[in-house]
Amino acid sequence: MIKRIVDWIDERTHVRDLYREQMVEYKVPKNLTFPYVFGVLALITFAIQIISGIILIMYYKPVIAHAFDSANYTIMREISFGWLFRHIHAAGANFFLAIVYLHMFTGIYYNAYKKPRELVWIVGWVIYFVLLVTALTGYLLPWGQLSYWGTVVTTEIPASLADAPILKGLFGAIGETISIWMKGGYKLEDLALGRFFGLHVLLLPLILLALVSIHLFLVRAAGISNPEGYEIDKKNEPEKVAPFHPYMTLKEGAFAMWYLAIFFFFVFFYMHHFLPADNFEPADPLKTPPHIAPEWYLLGFYEVFRSIPSKFWGFVAFNLILVLLLLLPFLDFSPVKSARRRPLFFIMFLVFLFSSMALTVLGTMAPTPTNAKLGMFFTALVFLFFLSLPVISFLEWGWYKARGGRA
Amino acid sequence: MSTWGLVKTVFFTAVTVIFFFIIWIHNPFAPHEEYELPDEAEKIIGDPKVAIEGRELFKQNCTSCHSLRYDGIYLMSVTAKPEWSAIEKAHGKPILEEKDGKIQVRGYFVPRDVYEAVAQADLQNLKASFGKIPPDLSTMYLARGAGYLYNFIMDPQKILPGTSMPKLFYPEYDKEAPQKVAKIVAYMRSVNEPPPGEKAKRTLMGIVTIGYFIAMGALLWIYRKRLLAKMGY
Amino acid sequence: MEASRRDFLGVALGGMGAVGVLGVLYPIVKTLAPSAASTTEAKVEVDITKIPELGVRVTSWKGKPLFVLRLPKDLTEDKYNVKKDSVNKAGKLNYDLLKGQEAYALVGVCTHLGCIPLWKPEGSDAVKAPYLHCPCHGGLYTPWGDNIGGPPPRPLFVPPQKRDGNKLIVGEPGFVKELV
Repeated sequence: MIKRIVDWIDERTHVRDLYREQMVEYKVPKNLTFPYVFGVLALITFAIQIISGIILIMYYKPVIAHAFDSANYTIMREISFGWLFRHIHAAGANFFLAIVYLHMFTGIYYNAYKKPRELVWIVGWVIYFVLLVTALTGYLLPWGQLSYWGTVVTTEIPASLADAPILKGLFGAIGETISIWMKGGYKLEDLALGRFFGLHVLLLPLILLALVSIHLFLVRAAGISNPEGYEIDKKNEPEKVAPFHPYMTLKEGAFAMWYLAIFFFFVFFYMHHFLPADNFEPADPLKTPPHIAPEWYLLGFYEVFRSIPSKFWGFVAFNLILVLLLLLPFLDFSPVKSARRRPLFFIMFLVFLFSSMALTVLGTMAPTPTNAKLGMFFTALVFLFFLSLPVISFLEWGWYKARGGRA
Repeated sequence: MSTWGLVKTVFFTAVTVIFFFIIWIHNPFAPHEEYELPDEAEKIIGDPKVAIEGRELFKQNCTSCHSLRYDGIYLMSVTAKPEWSAIEKAHGKPILEEKDGKIQVRGYFVPRDVYEAVAQADLQNLKASFGKIPPDLSTMYLARGAGYLYNFIMDPQKILPGTSMPKLFYPEYDKEAPQKVAKIVAYMRSVNEPPPGEKAKRTLMGIVTIGYFIAMGALLWIYRKRLLAKMGY
Repeated sequence: MEASRRDFLGVALGGMGAVGVLGVLYPIVKTLAPSAASTTEAKVEVDITKIPELGVRVTSWKGKPLFVLRLPKDLTEDKYNVKKDSVNKAGKLNYDLLKGQEAYALVGVCTHLGCIPLWKPEGSDAVKAPYLHCPCHGGLYTPWGDNIGGPPPRPLFVPPQKRDGNKLIVGEPGFVKELV
């Protein structure tokens, strides 16, 4: 019976062909390492966020008189399992960004941004950027002290343009305008909350969905990268590839299950970090909480911003890091791929990895002069990584040519 | 896997795990305050049965300045208004409790805007005498934790110099004072934590969920191994 | 041996998968369940001396419209062409429960598709006595909620109620013990 229904559908849509082409005849390299699973995990987390978000949206009220109570009374107490979905959504946001960071570092390590995959990287970068905006807008919604003050600080950051060494007036006006437009006025009120809510629950998820689809399409079009750093000729090297299904799907499926086990450990037993204590106090525009810092996924940028003495240059520096990240495929123009075969790149990758982590951890610490100096030092190392890429590439071009065009 | 490959795998795994441990679980670098809680107080606060007594103490001692809306407790001067009980019923949602196997209404959760409109004059009076409106205490336990609350109520000026919260409990004159404070904190805890039965249910649910995913992953892994052996990979 | 072990694995995977899907659906469906607060027992008191004869007082009980009707003593069911086979949960006509009561309460929701019937104290050409008329699809009820005509499949619901002096208390068992 089921077979006949599937036959009927297949006759009209050719889903079986599609399945065979996309799942079985689609071959992937056999030597893919564990970090390649992060892409799938990010996709799963995205699905989790959408499902839990749909449930939360039914009970959340984007009005300042009710926002805090709808999150902490209606969702946490009144609705059966409301607490579960709030926990999932809050933990999911953190896991989503964690997985995206791991995915990005994997991509950098294996040079998965190089020809022919530049567009994969660029679209991925846009996803990352939109994801940060989604996280920021969502952070305001529970209307707790951290939500409120975190957003106040974020909306004040563009105003640091006023510290520009030249054209103070112009830069100041631009910064001020951005800042006011983000808030929808001079104060964070209902207008801003409604705006953030609309962006967070509708526009940004739609953009993300579209971008993720494009990202996946591009990965299929350019082929998956390879830890060894060469392109596999799927026709002539059949022993190096395996069918996507079941070879890859089952492996990543198993990893995904274990990932979910870790995820649900946090959801059920360890929410202190994902639902921070200070945010259980309703927003009070007249009192700043004692330790106000952005969420961990922004701390690196925050530390760059805060350790540089001039607000303007701090603003420029952290935005420049974002831009350099986008330009990665063009900074690193070496023909050789994957850190496995590039010792110089491997070393600089470690420098980048450690500096990013150090900046993040420094961001959680008190702003002492020593920490500011350390922050500047690691900021310099991050820039050193980006600047070293063209140099390494230049050297590697030389070696590549010397070996007669073989890597 | 080559030795070098193994070294790299172990290294990157360790770095990632340590990093997320620091920022998600325990950060030894970040500044944070610890408040000592005497053993006796800790025992009282941890006991869910004390909450009923704590609720009465809370009503007697705290409601001249504070409300606790999530449990249907409002300013004394507001509940004394003749129209209040009708407002509560018309605009609030009943808060239920189980008593002797019967479900009954223990109070009403009145939306913030309605409550603040009714209590406008009372809140402004409080603001005039204290400088700011004393906060609603519904989620204060989650925000501050037992240690802070206990020490703060015992001696507000010591914990938060300059606060307008008066000291209400004097152990010098009232031997029971520390227990009373602990009972009040126990009550605030009971409002913010699921009841013991529900808590046990959630723990069980968590264990089952985690166990399910571990087992499911293992099954998929074994299934794949067998399948690939058969297919000749 | 090998084959049976593989079969077992397949069944185990399928079974676990199905359990997983149910496990995901369960909390999602549960969030849609009515919250405990919305199902509390409510009690409504109505002072019947405030209602004129042949008058109706519309109030609410458990979130539903409640009709409290006061009828003259001489009004009986003989005036209506009642569908005798259409009975309430107790297997009786509402009239059998409510006759002799000067005032009583009915849940004012048409048992056809949930509209709120209108009270016609003057009657009409078709029904020459007071009756309830549902405007949506033309259901007709006697003042006690028994069916006269139209699509409704059963009489109107009658909540538990009792008399206490001049007060009619809805929500406590009295001359009607439970919702029928």
